[in-house]
Amino acid sequence: MKLYIKDYSTYKSDEEDIDIKKTLKQKYKLDTRRQDAFIHLGLYGAMLLKEKTVIDKDDELYVTSGIGNVDVVQKTNTRVYEQNQPLKLFDFINLLGNTTSYYIASALGISGKNIFQISDNFTFINTLISLYASINHSQKNAILCSIDLASTPNEVIKRVLGVDEDCSVVSGVNYQKFSLTKDDAIAEIEFDTLSYSFDEINNILKDNNTKVIFSKRCDNFFETYPSYIINDAIKNDEDIIFVDSFEDRYKILKLKSLK
Amino acid sequence: MKSYINNYEVLCDAGDTKGLMQAIYAKKSAVSIDVSYIKDRPSGLGKMHYDNIFNVLKDVTSKVLKASNLENFKDTLLILGSSVGGMQECEDIFYSQKNYKNINPNRYSMNTLTDYLCKEFDFYDSRAISTACTSSANALVLAKRLIDVEAYENILVVGADGLCASTVLGFHALGVLSDKPCLPFDKERNGMNVAEAVAIMLIQNTKTKDSMELKGVGASSDAYHMTNPDPEAGGAMSSMRDAINDAKLSLDDIDYVNAHGTATPANDRVEALAIEKLFANDVYVSSTKAITGHTLGAAGAIEAIISCEVIKNSIIPPQTGLQNQENTNINIPKESIEMSVKNIVSNSFAFGGNNTSIVVGACV
Repeated sequence: MKLYIKDYSTYKSDEEDIDIKKTLKQKYKLDTRRQDAFIHLGLYGAMLLKEKTVIDKDDELYVTSGIGNVDVVQKTNTRVYEQNQPLKLFDFINLLGNTTSYYIASALGISGKNIFQISDNFTFINTLISLYASINHSQKNAILCSIDLASTPNEVIKRVLGVDEDCSVVSGVNYQKFSLTKDDAIAEIEFDTLSYSFDEINNILKDNNTKVIFSKRCDNFFETYPSYIINDAIKNDEDIIFVDSFEDRYKILKLKSLK
Repeated sequence: MKSYINNYEVLCDAGDTKGLMQAIYAKKSAVSIDVSYIKDRPSGLGKMHYDNIFNVLKDVTSKVLKASNLENFKDTLLILGSSVGGMQECEDIFYSQKNYKNINPNRYSMNTLTDYLCKEFDFYDSRAISTACTSSANALVLAKRLIDVEAYENILVVGADGLCASTVLGFHALGVLSDKPCLPFDKERNGMNVAEAVAIMLIQNTKTKDSMELKGVGASSDAYHMTNPDPEAGGAMSSMRDAINDAKLSLDDIDYVNAHGTATPANDRVEALAIEKLFANDVYVSSTKAITGHTLGAAGAIEAIISCEVIKNSIIPPQTGLQNQENTNINIPKESIEMSVKNIVSNSFAFGGNNTSIVVGACV
């Protein structure tokens, strides 16, 4: 499977610490009421992308996350079970995955297909496969938003991710605009559905000359980290092979810069 | 590449697939009146009889595997559609301990149910779709597209949501929760019934003697409003039209529309308008949510299974509870209609203008 990347946007909280809600309101003049930090993070990445590239209203939108919006789950349960208060309407609405997709679609002016996909394994690659299968039929372009919010309770997020207690988790939102056509593309990405054992991966890579980056599950980690790695390689004009891992299985992404 | 629906099973408030179809044709709603979730306010809810959602998932999945041509799921992709995933167990722990300290992280997030099934059945790969009430319908859309590009040969689509306070109180906060069994398309309807179900379908690229075909899929997002559909019904029409085109069928080929039909004022008004504009009076329409309630993320899969059964039984389901039809320009039968049924459109719509339609048909 092969796709072309037309543009991208990147934000990672350990590299740039900003007040996202304030930026959305002041710089981008967005109405941030009734939304939470997870939605704000998604919207911030969307606005960074919108500044750089043309978004078509028929573009498809995929939003993916490793653990979803943990904050809002904690908030609703605390309110109902600890404070014995009625559930707030917009906390309920923000619990649902497609709420984030709705706000992003509205901000980007997209009315095409709109999917929120989540998995705590191979999150980015699996969503890429879904996106590819869809636009291979529709022949449209697609925007992929990969989002993970690290906020309180960090301890719970680490347990959900299955990472060590001393591993630092960060927030990240990374977008790419994908197309089936090469025109004006800045990178080409190849991937497939196959997963491999460690020995198989070693065998595949033994005669390889391209830079290889292995997935890490420690130090400034978030589950959609591969999306950040892809964007970083594009920024640095690099060709890379990225190896993502989950338990004892591995999947490969090959990125070739076309800049 | 064609996508075949080869095996399926359900557990919902009306029982398994057989019990559900008997209830639909007998016009016997399985919705019960509950007073435990909201103080001093009865709610119509669709409750299953079970111990916990994880055991139901394992049991229904085992039944589908046993009836299939597979020995195991080692070469099968799992796509699970759920609106709130493991929220039910999460709430139970929080309720008893008032904090998150002892929450099992493997049963916490939105893809909890997927993780559980992967560990129990060793799937080749998995993913979860969470688009609220279109979740498992979108899982079916994805399954068809993945088979189209020959990415997988076997895909297990699961729709699952367990009843929990977050959804019951949430829909109550929205002012759309009915205090009685819901009345889709009726002038007197006063809202929906939150319900729970597990609905599982094995989609394959090979045909068996009992196959139904997942002929077409369509999805749109009108992004009109966070909770209300486009009043001109553009999004709903677009998803139905796209699904029918994808199936390479014409409007005349559709015998029945299994409507989303939640019985909320906004949904039924707009969906009826969409069907009227697209089909005029030429197709039978009913909503089986009058029997099951609204099973949220499971609704797309459960109604796809009902559609398969309607084709097999050659009986169009009647509209349970209908007395005063609001939009009389669509054809809603009050009694079962015996006829040859070849193609069915099944609709699922969700918050944020997320619209999904599928076409299920008899194999030719």
